[in-house]
Amino acid sequence: MDRECAQLLPPVCAVLGDSRQLVADDTFLEKFLDWFKTLTETESSLHLLQENPCLTELITCVLKLKDPSSSTLSFILRLTGIFTASESCFQYLQQRELLNSLFGEEGPLSSALWEEASVRSGWVQGVHTMTQHQSAIHFLCNCGAIDVIFTLQGDPSLFVASAANRLLVHILTFSLQSFQTKPVNIKDCDWPICAQKLIPHLEESLKSSSASRIKQSLKLLTSVFGCCHDLWTEVLWSQLSEPITYLLENEPFNAGNSLVDLFLSMARSPVFSCPECSLWKSASYALEHLNPAQAGCLSAGILKLQECPQAVRMQALSVLLQPMDCVLKAASQPLEYPGLLNNSLSDSATIETLLSCRSSCASLLCQTLAHLEELLYLTYMPVNLPHIPLLKSVVTVLQFGTGLATPASSLGSKISRILIGCFRVQRSALDILGAFSHWESHSVFMGSVSDILLAYLKSPDTSPTVLKKSFQATLKWLVRLSEAPSSRDYWLQTEQFFRDLFLVLQKRLCSHCWEIRDSALEFLTLLVKHLREKEEFRQVLVSSEVPKFTEDLLEDPESYVRASAVLAMGQLSFLTHLNSKIPSTENGNGKEVKKKSIVAQLQEILVTDSEGFPRRAVISVFIDWLRDGHTDVLKDTEQFVSSVLQVVNCDLDWEVKAGGLELAEVFSAKTLGRVGLAGCPYVSVVSAATRSTQLNESLQIFYRVKLFEFLFGALCDCDRPVAQKACSILIALKAELCDENSLKEGLSAEHSFPEAHGIAWLEKTLRRWSSCAEPCPIGIANEAGSQNPNDILLVLRTIDLEGLNKSLNRSSDHIENSPQSLLQDILATVGTLEENEADCY
Amino acid sequence: MPEIKVTPLGAGQDVGRSCILVSIAGKNVMLDCGMHMGYNDDRRFPDFSYITQNGRLTDFLDCVIISHFHLDHCGALPYFSEMVGYDGPIYMTHPTKAICPILLEDYRKITVDKKGETNFFTSQMIKDCMKKVVAVHLHQTVQVDDELEIKAYYAGHVLGAAMFQIRVGSESVVYTGDYNMTPDRHLGAAWIDKCRPDLLISESTYATTIRDSKRCRERDFLKKVHETVERGGKVLIPVFALGRAQELCILLETFWERMNLKAPIYFSMGLTEKANHYYKLFITWTNQKIRKTFVQRNMFEFKHIKAFDRAFADNPGPMVVFATPGMLHAGQSLQIFRKWAGNEKNMVIMPGYCVQGTVGHKILSGQRKLEMEGRQILEVKMQVEYMSFSAHADAKGIMQLIRQAEPRSVLLVHGEAKKMEFLKQKIEQEFHVNCYMPANGETTTLFTSPNIPVDISLGLLKRETAIGLVPDSKKPKLMHGTLIMKDNSFRLVSPEQALKELGLGEHQLRFTCRVHIQDPRKEHEMVLRVYNHLKGILKDYSVQHLPDGSIMVESILIQATAQSEDQGTKVLLVSWTYQDEELGSYLTSLLKKGLPPTTT
Repeated sequence: MDRECAQLLPPVCAVLGDSRQLVADDTFLEKFLDWFKTLTETESSLHLLQENPCLTELITCVLKLKDPSSSTLSFILRLTGIFTASESCFQYLQQRELLNSLFGEEGPLSSALWEEASVRSGWVQGVHTMTQHQSAIHFLCNCGAIDVIFTLQGDPSLFVASAANRLLVHILTFSLQSFQTKPVNIKDCDWPICAQKLIPHLEESLKSSSASRIKQSLKLLTSVFGCCHDLWTEVLWSQLSEPITYLLENEPFNAGNSLVDLFLSMARSPVFSCPECSLWKSASYALEHLNPAQAGCLSAGILKLQECPQAVRMQALSVLLQPMDCVLKAASQPLEYPGLLNNSLSDSATIETLLSCRSSCASLLCQTLAHLEELLYLTYMPVNLPHIPLLKSVVTVLQFGTGLATPASSLGSKISRILIGCFRVQRSALDILGAFSHWESHSVFMGSVSDILLAYLKSPDTSPTVLKKSFQATLKWLVRLSEAPSSRDYWLQTEQFFRDLFLVLQKRLCSHCWEIRDSALEFLTLLVKHLREKEEFRQVLVSSEVPKFTEDLLEDPESYVRASAVLAMGQLSFLTHLNSKIPSTENGNGKEVKKKSIVAQLQEILVTDSEGFPRRAVISVFIDWLRDGHTDVLKDTEQFVSSVLQVVNCDLDWEVKAGGLELAEVFSAKTLGRVGLAGCPYVSVVSAATRSTQLNESLQIFYRVKLFEFLFGALCDCDRPVAQKACSILIALKAELCDENSLKEGLSAEHSFPEAHGIAWLEKTLRRWSSCAEPCPIGIANEAGSQNPNDILLVLRTIDLEGLNKSLNRSSDHIENSPQSLLQDILATVGTLEENEADCY
Repeated sequence: MPEIKVTPLGAGQDVGRSCILVSIAGKNVMLDCGMHMGYNDDRRFPDFSYITQNGRLTDFLDCVIISHFHLDHCGALPYFSEMVGYDGPIYMTHPTKAICPILLEDYRKITVDKKGETNFFTSQMIKDCMKKVVAVHLHQTVQVDDELEIKAYYAGHVLGAAMFQIRVGSESVVYTGDYNMTPDRHLGAAWIDKCRPDLLISESTYATTIRDSKRCRERDFLKKVHETVERGGKVLIPVFALGRAQELCILLETFWERMNLKAPIYFSMGLTEKANHYYKLFITWTNQKIRKTFVQRNMFEFKHIKAFDRAFADNPGPMVVFATPGMLHAGQSLQIFRKWAGNEKNMVIMPGYCVQGTVGHKILSGQRKLEMEGRQILEVKMQVEYMSFSAHADAKGIMQLIRQAEPRSVLLVHGEAKKMEFLKQKIEQEFHVNCYMPANGETTTLFTSPNIPVDISLGLLKRETAIGLVPDSKKPKLMHGTLIMKDNSFRLVSPEQALKELGLGEHQLRFTCRVHIQDPRKEHEMVLRVYNHLKGILKDYSVQHLPDGSIMVESILIQATAQSEDQGTKVLLVSWTYQDEELGSYLTSLLKKGLPPTTT
């Protein structure tokens, strides 16, 4: 703790310990605790207490208060917890008999304030932080705290109950880990005293008739098995498996979700991975007897496991596939399609009942589809999913959603009625349809997938969110297929698909709904980005009206759409035929007027658009163009960069400026690379003369583009990210341009190594430059202003970039967020509370 | 017993970030998804892990509803939908959908700019989140799914703010969000119909306050600005881009016009146009006066308020500047403050709340020497004023809303515990309803009486209307018939139809009651006495003495028999059908009282 804080701390403690003084809001206390957490990480807690006796006095003082506020008491409990995490500090406070008064029976437990959730929460948190050593464990066991925690497991506050449960997990794992000096004897386990209290409590809770107690205990066990993989967990399971099996067999629905979590947490632990473990028997029983939603969760978890008995795995797969199997069969005649599962093995009555009920059908399908989607993305899949029939079932769900599927049974009719227009299921099905692209081939796509995707893209009933998912799924398939080796046949078929797709896209680009226009543009941008090298794709796109419609959207009233149109145009302009196809328009005199080039249009947006998104989009397009060597940029790169930087320099949006800096960075790297200055380790050493020429050449280019004026200006910018980015670019340029040799060559004796300057000096210099038009010889710049390449070099050498970089790397509110600031604020707030009572926006 | 459960994840006994989970008839709805501006880490967002532990977020939640565009109500939304992974529907009004992304973007820029945070939502995430939003109109009933419906009501407070009614079957909850029961210069007062929800979840920021007259506050504000400008000083008003800023702009514009003042008023560049655009677009959401005058003059096209340029801050002479952000923690407002703080002629007026760690908070708590970067000390000589212009209902307004909506119970959020406690007692006393105030993480459960919808047969309905009862949805009416429960549906039909449908024969059930009467006279004399007695009392009923000696009162039959053991006691058998249960019981009780003594 620094001196200033140490001075401020006593009055602050006096304020906090005074019940007449109200502390404005809880964020003060939270931040105060944060500070002490950080302090105790680096300093000895005992030393802190000894050096700052006001802290112990504060604890004592609050304990003596007749009527402390609940927030102050909660704060003190947590603060004490932080200190007592250190054993020496624990002893120190214990000797002063403070701990019993805080965490023992004499403490808040017996006061009226215990009714306040914040006090109970503070108590639990305090105890949790404290429990880092055996002394704390002994203390808790002796002062009756364990029983309090048991009670708090059922607290009406979710936060307190959950914290109490976490605390018990911590106590159990901590006491067993530190106790376990020798391996646990499975048959005759000599548990530490804490565990001896906890385990019977768990057993009793699991056997109780209270659903919430059972749930809390199962949660606790789930956490224990999840975070600890020691041998003793096996002993614990052997002790508790009996009541858990009882629950599974007798209360499968009430405790179902918690049992699923427990089994999965155990299944992930190496301790239980052996196929003979009783866990698998329970899991198998659960798969059979839990309700389909619960069994679905368990199945998905089991199928992700690397170690699992194959029989359980296959059972899990059947459970997960069953709803999809029912859907598939509901839309196809018997014998027409074999289905996903063997009929003799599956009992589908329950699933059919759920699917025929409006409220459960959508939930079950969404959940199943989501689980299956996760499995499709797994790189390692221990069982083979029946991809083709599964895909068929997903397509069937989507067909039901638009009324395209013909029901083949009464269940089919019911599902059809439920799924028509059910966006939730449509979204989930489209998500998984996209995931199939990783697995399936072109022929599959050209079959039912492309049809259903087009149906969704075309349908006027498709909601904006469903349409977005349709675009995403289509994109995934098209990108995936473009990466696969293609045959002529493929392209012939795909060409027709693209024609249909672009027709739909044209329509969507004219939608009255901005969300749809925007999603269509985003889709187009990504599609062109990935497929622009494919000649067939390019031809169909260029011959369509899509580019024209996209260009029109550069003037959309919605700024999000304008920005997306800019990005789309940025990609479209890479298609070389497109530029030659820029349409001409007729003016009033019937004469054809060549429309502006895309570069000019985008530059205009950069200058005139009142919203930040389109301007930011333009900059990002320009960066891509410069990086990828766009033909329009290559014509006159210097002119292009110079004009963009000039515009960006005046932009009020710092993100546009930051984009401009990135452009400057790309440009400088390209220039240095082109002249041969870029630091490449494999380039042979060049002579000093060549280097000087290269240096000079690049400096001249930067000078013409006014790169440094822009960078120095940005360095003075009040927006931190702009200054920070400018600083890092300047440091990189300095390293390239101002090495020792060039430094000596470029400067006369009297100007060598001037003193490092800061921002104020730079601002002054820039003002002088801008006020003086005539260039001056080097060395006179400091007096008369103006600039030339050498002046720039001088500034670059003179300015203290490293120092600036260091300060810019800190957040700009580090002073307001400092502990001094916090302590000052606490002191200043005292007495002003009535005046500025709690308010909001 | 059906129940409604409410668990605040934020705004439970605090004014931090609003986020309330409501579970109603098996549907789960999240009301608001706000952010706490006082934290820079994960604590700024509600702890969503309490929802995710119930399985997949999108499967668990049926929808999210956002009441208005303030960040303490919508600031965590992009995080929730794009980073935590909620993929379901989000509902808000049209103005909120339009303005929300502007404020989120503004906040994102400041957060990333100021603190260099990288683990924060991006522009793309804000856009993707907004694409999931379904915009709703006022009073439009929106069907979220087959069972769940929502409806928005006007809440005042800020442009587009709405209260939402959430209904599943016959159970309903109204969530007020932030609201204002008194109209201001550009917005109207909150309004809701007598929807009698099972639960009203109301904000309670000013639970114990009866706010002083707004006119006084406005006068005070104008006086301070005027005095400063008159003595050549500059006035800085840090504001959030949209919201109260427009109210203050209208106030100053009108004052400048009236007083013919010349000092320039500026508003942060870019935001005036944006604000103008949205206020024009959503003119129907403003108050009546603004709407009326809109045809001649748009109140948001200001004559005296101009766009601000950075360079103007150095101009000599008086001026008034509205600059963002509102807490003086970054950007333009902080820059201007630094320039003007040293001059005692200048003034800064803070029109809203500031969190700890901001310059706004420091100066409001009276700190006059502020440490700036590089150990520089900024001495604040300018005058610092705090004037709350936040538009919340005060205690009177909250009571007024409860009176309007007539809820069966009330739950208070978005306020301080002590103040809530006071208001809770007041509500319980005045309205005789239960009032709850759960802390964050605490679940309030209330049981509701279920209403089961029943179809009525046309025949029965026609019969009822034939006797002059025109169905009126607002006036509940008792119907008699036979309830048939079949195939998960309930139907009320006439008894005849029920018999026909079910193929049953009709049996009539009569109730007979024996009434002992002490009367030594002969039977027929006693019957005559009974007849006269009833005839005298039941003037509006048809009372007949039948030839067989019995008496008929409407359909009730009264016969006399002699008590074999005791000749002085006669027994009257009163017999009625189920339909006449009421009259039968009445007659029985009447006769049990005995006959009046005969006058001889």
